[in-house]
Amino acid sequence: MQLLVNSLALGSFYALIALGFALIFGVTRTFNLAHGELILLGGYISYFLFKGAGIHILWTLPPSMLALLGAALVLHAILRRVREPYELNTLVVTFGLALVLQNAMLVIFTADYRLIGHGRQFFLESLDAYVSDTQITVFLTSLLATLSVHFLMRKTFLGKALRATIQDREAARLAGIHVDHMTLIAFGTGGALIGLAGPLYAQTTYLHPFGGSEPTLLAIIVSIFAGVGRTRGLLLGGWLLGTIESATVFFLGSSWREMVSAMILIGLLLLRPEGLWSERSKPGREA
Amino acid sequence: MFLVASLAWSSGLGPVTAAGTVGSPGITIGEIDPLTGKLAKHGQEIHEGILYAVEEANSKGGIQGRKIEVISRDDQSLPDVAINQAEDLLYRYKVSGLVGGYVDSLVAPVSELAAKYHVPYVASASLQRTLTLGRNNPFFFRVAHLDGIVEPLCSFLEKVVRPASVAILYTATPGSTEFGQEVKARLIRSGIDVKVFEKFRPGSPDFSAFLLKLRADGVEALVCGGFFPDHLILVRQIREQNLSLKAYVGPWGVAYPSFVEEMGAAAERLFGMCAWNQGITLPGTETASEAFAEGFRKRFGKTANTTTMHGYTSARALIAALEGDLKSGGSLKGEDGSRRLRALDILTPMERLAFDEKGDPRHYRQVVVQIQSGRLVAVHPPDRAGGHIQWPAP
Repeated sequence: MQLLVNSLALGSFYALIALGFALIFGVTRTFNLAHGELILLGGYISYFLFKGAGIHILWTLPPSMLALLGAALVLHAILRRVREPYELNTLVVTFGLALVLQNAMLVIFTADYRLIGHGRQFFLESLDAYVSDTQITVFLTSLLATLSVHFLMRKTFLGKALRATIQDREAARLAGIHVDHMTLIAFGTGGALIGLAGPLYAQTTYLHPFGGSEPTLLAIIVSIFAGVGRTRGLLLGGWLLGTIESATVFFLGSSWREMVSAMILIGLLLLRPEGLWSERSKPGREA
Repeated sequence: MFLVASLAWSSGLGPVTAAGTVGSPGITIGEIDPLTGKLAKHGQEIHEGILYAVEEANSKGGIQGRKIEVISRDDQSLPDVAINQAEDLLYRYKVSGLVGGYVDSLVAPVSELAAKYHVPYVASASLQRTLTLGRNNPFFFRVAHLDGIVEPLCSFLEKVVRPASVAILYTATPGSTEFGQEVKARLIRSGIDVKVFEKFRPGSPDFSAFLLKLRADGVEALVCGGFFPDHLILVRQIREQNLSLKAYVGPWGVAYPSFVEEMGAAAERLFGMCAWNQGITLPGTETASEAFAEGFRKRFGKTANTTTMHGYTSARALIAALEGDLKSGGSLKGEDGSRRLRALDILTPMERLAFDEKGDPRHYRQVVVQIQSGRLVAVHPPDRAGGHIQWPAP
């Protein structure tokens, strides 16, 4: 049971990290390699508010979300100037931005590792397992954020327009959807989600100016697991990945963790490149 | 402007020079360290230790009246960049010696180039045995050695902790892998059951499943050959999962004031290892140690740690060798510097430094420390202990 609790917490953490990346990539086709650095930025904002002003971690979420929303809009303004082939060029530009952000963070925050204190643990007799308040926070935040985005995408007119943009930008444009506005909204919402993930990333792992590649990689992997534009799939993908990793470590050993994950990822790309929860027979449906 | 200059520096776009500058022909030494990238924290600590040693020497008149200039280069924590930077220092700047380096994957390629150009290289933090074992590189020296960590750690476990079973977790880096294998072999020989022996990738975000296994196996002590950030996550998850261990020992990354600062109460009673820290110094070097600690704080506005001391010691060794060379009328040729290093015997706060025929330090030996009320207290070996162990730990 403890393994399951840990797996769910880890998976929720993965999904939270991937949410902003997946939304921006789905709607705008921007392959944001600076995603991890933006998460770190949110983490640093939270860290200094937490350590410097003594603000509770949960209260650092709004300022982090606001700041990252702004950062994402700046990113959008930069990427608007990128020419075709858009996907490839955004890859190069965001890679460059990641380097700039890494070095700027090194100068501003120094190379020290930063950590937001460890959480309290509880023993749940019904589950016969320990659970920490960090795990609970990450699980609930991830669940709420995913459901909110899912609701936005499925139940609102804006969501329909966003989904139409994900499926076919040109067709969406012909249908009268202002694709540029959709892009702006995706960047803004994605930025806010990154800002939501940053503080919880800092609370779950640690902050270092050059630690952005891990969350970026995680976001890419979970997005591939889920399939483009499938928000519910992100959470399920995160849980699945978390469970696979935890079970691998527990039954086979820590050294197998990355290998098993990589093998599953390769298999997925070969057998179901559109994502684990995609419905190939029903194109256009959002899970 | 400041930001641009800082970015240029931190990106390794240009050389960082220090201390030299005067009109008389100076002596140029080269430094290669990970000033940016994943290993930037420790690379910068070594860099500051080297700068401090050079500035200290220059404040005393340099070497035979000649100022020392250090050209610092950033390898960005990448071996291929380390090679390029070393080539540049050796070929273009024709430095009289090389110093610095953190982790074997970055030190090894530089040591090969030092041999190629016949220039002495004193590595600040290198452990891997194969780097010196059975190789004939008369230009490579290092101030640390794996035996100086494995021996005190194992004797601590065997004689003090005496656990029925241990888990060894090590990272997929050459030095840590060798460390893990050495510790495992030694503990098995002494009758301690190594129940879990696992490798992990540095930077892993989660250890909860691993810790669950320790609980299931009833492991009493955990030796983690990970680095500073790995301990941050691992220790936090140990606390969060309420895992009870007789001892948690982290040879790298725990015995740092900054680790204690970040972890707070969660760091209490953990065991770490260090070659030096303020208040933990080689007997007979107390005055020099305090002078270093105070001088460093004044110069850099921060507390020196064991990694800083490794940088300082390596630079001291190179400077002493070059000084000896010039004093005896030498020409600062690589062969002469190398010969002088081989004959070197100096006392530093970290160790009595003399090299064996392979370039390894003869007397390097770390101490086991325990974090007690936010302080690092030396607890093993007995001749270096500055306090008693607090149990239960952690």
